[in-house]
Amino acid sequence: MGTTSAEEVRALVEKFWGFFIRKSKSEFDEMYSPSATVFAADARRGEPARLMLVRRARELFGPASAVGAKLDAIDVQILRGDLAVASYAFHFNVTRNLPNGKRVSVDVPFGRATQVFQRDANGNLRIIHEHMSSAAPVSPKELPAAGRD
Amino acid sequence: MQKFWDILCGRSNERLEDLYSASAIVFTGKAKRSERGALAAVRRMRQFAAGEWTTTAELDPIEVQIAGDVAIASYTYRFHSSKTGKDGSREHRNTLFGRSTQIFQRDERGALRIVHEHLSSAAPPAVEKAKG
Repeated sequence: MGTTSAEEVRALVEKFWGFFIRKSKSEFDEMYSPSATVFAADARRGEPARLMLVRRARELFGPASAVGAKLDAIDVQILRGDLAVASYAFHFNVTRNLPNGKRVSVDVPFGRATQVFQRDANGNLRIIHEHMSSAAPVSPKELPAAGRD
Repeated sequence: MQKFWDILCGRSNERLEDLYSASAIVFTGKAKRSERGALAAVRRMRQFAAGEWTTTAELDPIEVQIAGDVAIASYTYRFHSSKTGKDGSREHRNTLFGRSTQIFQRDERGALRIVHEHLSSAAPPAVEKAKG
């Protein structure tokens, strides 16, 4: 069980968004502990990460979806040798098809993230809790229809 | 956590800032950036201690994840605030889908303090205004 550095956590956060943008589903899923809990940005309740991952894969990892993100400076709090909190603001945008065939674009200029990482039995830092939110209301913008995913 | 909401709702005279670690980082409801916990606490106390606001909160069940001397509490809540203007008009704000993550850690004296907090809302608060 090694110690944890702020640089290591920042690199993991960058990796997380890299997997998200490239739709690397298995690597993305691996970032989360099996027992992780999350508040997704638009969810009214907390939920197990595994449920959010299924939904995210369906909605955002399809061939007709595109995700972009730009991160601000990442604050890292090392609380224990095996536990760290990363928090940061980010600009997020996604274009995707809805089940009804409509194509929408969502821009989140004021995203905010808290991700709690803990080292697992294999020594890998994984997210055990995540809270994503937007500081301003977000509304999807309808785009001209395209092929379905 | 109960202490936090008791102070915020005027049911306790304790200082909100004392609940936070000196290095705490927080995302408050609408802030675009994070800030120091003590600063946010002082601002909140100033807003609510000015006397014009009355506030109540209802918390849903709290999920707690424990990792050694660190505890992560996450829950949803509803927060209601009312303000009376100088002209007698009243403004009611109802946050119906509040979400909270509060991370506590024991300090060197053994007291649990908030080291990180993220408060957000899944929908903008409902605002009602009434003339005085």
